[in-house]
Amino acid sequence: MLRMNNLSKVYRTHMIETHALRGFEIHVKEGEFVTVTGPSGSGKTTFLNIAGLLEEFSDGDYFLDGVNVKGMNDNDRSRLRNEKLGFIFQGFNLIPDLSLFDNVDVPLRYRGFNAAERKRRIEEALTQVGLASRMKHYPAELSGGQQQRVAIARALAGSPKLLLADEPTGNLDTHMARSVMELLEEINARGTTILMVTHDPELAVRAQRNVHIIDGQVSDLIRQSPSLYQSEAASASNSIAA
Amino acid sequence: MIQYYFFLGIRSLRRNPVLTSLMVLTLAIGVAASVSTLTILHMMSSDPIPSKSDRLFVPVMDNSPLEGYVPGAPIEETQLSYPDVTNFLKTDQGVRRVAVYGVQMTLEPSRPDLRVADIQGLAVSADYFAMFEVPFSQGQGWTSAEEKNAAKVVVLSQTLSEKLFGKESALGKRLRMQNNEYQVIGVLGKWNPLPRFTHLINGSGGSFKGEDEFYIPFNTATVVEIGPSGSMWCHGPMGAGFKGILASDCTWLQFWFETATASDHTKLLNYLNAYTADQKKVGRYPRGAPNLLLNVKEWMSFLKIVRNDSKLSAWLAFGFLLLCLVNTAGLLLAKFSVRSSEVGVRRALGASRADIFMQFFIETGVIGLVGGLFGLILSFGGLWLISRQSGEMAVLAKMDWNMLVLTFILAVSASVLAGLLPTWRACQVTPALQLKSQ
Repeated sequence: MLRMNNLSKVYRTHMIETHALRGFEIHVKEGEFVTVTGPSGSGKTTFLNIAGLLEEFSDGDYFLDGVNVKGMNDNDRSRLRNEKLGFIFQGFNLIPDLSLFDNVDVPLRYRGFNAAERKRRIEEALTQVGLASRMKHYPAELSGGQQQRVAIARALAGSPKLLLADEPTGNLDTHMARSVMELLEEINARGTTILMVTHDPELAVRAQRNVHIIDGQVSDLIRQSPSLYQSEAASASNSIAA
Repeated sequence: MIQYYFFLGIRSLRRNPVLTSLMVLTLAIGVAASVSTLTILHMMSSDPIPSKSDRLFVPVMDNSPLEGYVPGAPIEETQLSYPDVTNFLKTDQGVRRVAVYGVQMTLEPSRPDLRVADIQGLAVSADYFAMFEVPFSQGQGWTSAEEKNAAKVVVLSQTLSEKLFGKESALGKRLRMQNNEYQVIGVLGKWNPLPRFTHLINGSGGSFKGEDEFYIPFNTATVVEIGPSGSMWCHGPMGAGFKGILASDCTWLQFWFETATASDHTKLLNYLNAYTADQKKVGRYPRGAPNLLLNVKEWMSFLKIVRNDSKLSAWLAFGFLLLCLVNTAGLLLAKFSVRSSEVGVRRALGASRADIFMQFFIETGVIGLVGGLFGLILSFGGLWLISRQSGEMAVLAKMDWNMLVLTFILAVSASVLAGLLPTWRACQVTPALQLKSQ
């Protein structure tokens, strides 16, 4: 699904060069749930932005669902992003003056679906996250957890092959975070590949695989047997930070 | 997608009502100022007879004395003398020829309730009505034979006919004017060309306001010795009485040629040049200044019908509109800059830079449309204020469909122009930065 070979990302200013990623290698298979951890400034977000085609890389190769994205122009990258990827952000990033229906509608508009198809997908996605009854509401009328569910519905509506989540539970309390995590696990169980950046070791170990990044490189790969609903104690003891 | 962007543009108006109102108001004021002054300019410079304005020509010839002549200086003589006009009437140049001069006559109404009054009209030759496509509501103009026989006939304006005879037909009625009885043979329909181009010099009431109340045959007017109502420019000696005026080189008449095609201009000018060369042999046209043959629009321009202060007002208004545009651009920058996160989200969800550009471009267009609507209302207010300045302005300060459409084009173009920089900056938003900074 996602393969990066010897990928590097360098930020240049007049004075210095900063290597955010160097010799970065990763392969995420279709259907996997992979968490990405690492200390602040290690390159997690840069990796996720490059994976999400939001940033260009300096060198190396990146294949998304078999397509080499190197050298693609803005239009092609945008189309590929729209068709293959779904995004979930820490801050939800819903558009405040659009209703839930219209928020979920945004990626579908850029895909060019007709009105009936968009309506079907929006209702299906909002039903999947348990918010079908509130589709005329506005984001400000929802709790943080509900807003993140809408963001997930928006990501799912276009039937993406890969879901990129950047600390999706970072702004939520424990109860809501668990609920969102369970929703992501359900989505993964239905076949969507998920790549999630998190600081939370408890969540990191709930994935099938955890990738640890340090200084812009994949430093360690920890594999776990898939267990979707482990107890908190067990999760803590198996965490990568341990 | 255009429909979607239009929907987003309308929604965006509500996003920040204060900022939106400021933008719309700024744009509306700038557009209203420009449209109001442009309307005056448009009305002043509009073509009064588009069907043949390029085929109607006024000869401008300098019969002034040699003394004081500066070669190349603009011709100051704008009217012609009676001998020249009668010579031109006799030629076969062009398809129609018309002599015109303004007359004022004393009307002695037969109705006891109406007082004796001076009325303003024109003495014109028979082809006047056909040449200028003058509509008739009753009857018609006079024939060449009637003209030749100095028939005492008159054509009335609709206003004068209604004033004298009410809704009754005026045809066949007799009017006593300047001690002579004239028979009414025609009443004009609604005819109010702007400017009153057929008699721009000394037209009663000016070039734009007022009305010629009656028309009598040119030959009749000279036979019964009705002098011109307006200026007369004399250089040489003049005999006594009206006959002296007719025989002199005093200039007090206007003349029009109508040609079959616009390209007949050269042929007609050649005729005029040959004419003045011929006249020079008998001591007339001593300056040998080049003759001019001007079509309707050139004639209006020559007489500076569109005044310089009107042009200056229009330029000032456009300068003001430019100021408004700069302000609107600043407000749009402020409005769009707070939406960087939305741009980031849309980019992440699949919008290309072109999509973002189109969305914000149409949004500025929507602001322009609303600004145009308010601008139109303010324009009507502005024109109302202008119309109260003078009678002439009251005639000119009227918006037509062209100006109405122009208001919206101007408003949308202005807003889109003002929105180019903010829109371009919105496209340059780096989505990754915006998404993380949430």
